Amino acid sequence: MLELQGVHKRFGDLHVLRGVDMKVERGSVVCVIGPSGSGKSTLLRCVNLLEPPDEGRILLEGREITGDGSRDGLDFVRRKVGLVFQQFNLFPHKTALENVCLAQEKVLGRSKREAREQGAALLERVGLADKVDEYPERLSGGQQQRVAIARALAMDPHVMLFDEVTSALDPELIKEVLDVMRELADEGMTMVVVTHEIGFARDVGDRVAFMDEGVVLEEGPPAEVLGNPREERTKRFLGLVLEH
Amino acid sequence: MDVVLEQYFDLGLMVEEFGFVLDGFWETLQLSILSGVLALAWGLVLALLRQLPGRALAPVRFVTIAYIDAFRGVPLLLVILIISGSLPFVAEGLGLPRSVGIPQWLGKPDPFWYGVFAITVTYGAYMAEVYRAGIESVPGGQTEAARSLGMSHGQAMHHVVVPQAVRRVIPPLLNDFIALMKDSSLVGVIALLEVVEAGRTVQAETLNSSALTLGALMFLVVTIPLARLVDRLIAGQQARFQRGGAPA
Repeated sequence: MLELQGVHKRFGDLHVLRGVDMKVERGSVVCVIGPSGSGKSTLLRCVNLLEPPDEGRILLEGREITGDGSRDGLDFVRRKVGLVFQQFNLFPHKTALENVCLAQEKVLGRSKREAREQGAALLERVGLADKVDEYPERLSGGQQQRVAIARALAMDPHVMLFDEVTSALDPELIKEVLDVMRELADEGMTMVVVTHEIGFARDVGDRVAFMDEGVVLEEGPPAEVLGNPREERTKRFLGLVLEH
Repeated sequence: MDVVLEQYFDLGLMVEEFGFVLDGFWETLQLSILSGVLALAWGLVLALLRQLPGRALAPVRFVTIAYIDAFRGVPLLLVILIISGSLPFVAEGLGLPRSVGIPQWLGKPDPFWYGVFAITVTYGAYMAEVYRAGIESVPGGQTEAARSLGMSHGQAMHHVVVPQAVRRVIPPLLNDFIALMKDSSLVGVIALLEVVEAGRTVQAETLNSSALTLGALMFLVVTIPLARLVDRLIAGQQARFQRGGAPA
């Protein structure tokens, strides 16, 4: 479904990704954990081609989207891959429903009516049927993030990427967002989830990847990586995260 | 003291010349509003050209920046003079119709149109910089969100970035409009009978400045409310910002 082979990314002198390999099977959920600055977010941004990788290959549904493929690959990728940001990035001048409809109309060419029907259904699915006409300013962080998820889903993506989507939320709002993601996973969505929520990774993840200093240090089923990690670095990280 | 009152506030003269000065002010208003609207549009075009992405479009960006730098850096009076003095010859030399070289559209004299042209190209450059500040103040996450949803650079600009940017720059654009309105009096130099030129005509005939004072009062009737409006818009934006909402 999605495959990364030796992906490198540099920002000037900063070598953020140092050869990342990863495989995401259709319908599976891969959770990526690791310390800040380990390259997790950059990894997602590379898959979405917001930051084109400097080296290596990324294949989406068997098609290379990097290198020569990246020119018309961009449209292909953005249409197949949904991305949800830590800071929500909702459009503040548009209502919840308009946020969900805009790209449906402008990118997919859906009619206004079609987009609104689809948008309303998605907002209902994330539990916000009563907030369709609210502006983001009037929504809580958890509600905004759920709108952002609905907005990404409206494009009918084949893969959803989540970039620390609960990190900017108050603790009591985290659950409502994770519940939506859990449902998505249950429905068979292919997901790559960068997260600090170890509990979520353990319960929902099919695979867990631990990243450090720009590489995937170890990868496997949650029970192994989280329960019985091979690497010293993983143990130390989990020790620090799970301590409090 | 009497001489001051007489020179600047001769009510009899003001009443007598009121219609003449008001006609001049009406000309000033038409010139300012038409130039202002055109400069607003031209400035946005320049700002968008300046923001075009990619290496292939670097020459477009370069030319745009050169244009903006040039017209921000020379006096409007000079631009008015080089346009009005040579446009008729240039248009004729290029084989363009006479109505381009010496435009007298809509019943307005050619100095009016030279003025519109000069103010638009000059203030367009100022306003381009204001728009740019607005565009750059929209968080990068907005563009990224739009792009990640598959929108092109143009779509992201059109539907996401520019609407937010414009809201933020309305107060500074209004300030520029006030400045533009005052600067429009420079077109009087090429014999457009706008308000300052009207006042000057009366001054030359009567050796008394009261008609100019009258013109000043007419300016203030428009500019002071505009300045208050700017203050209020800024206060509104700050209140919203402090509530933690987006400064939309």
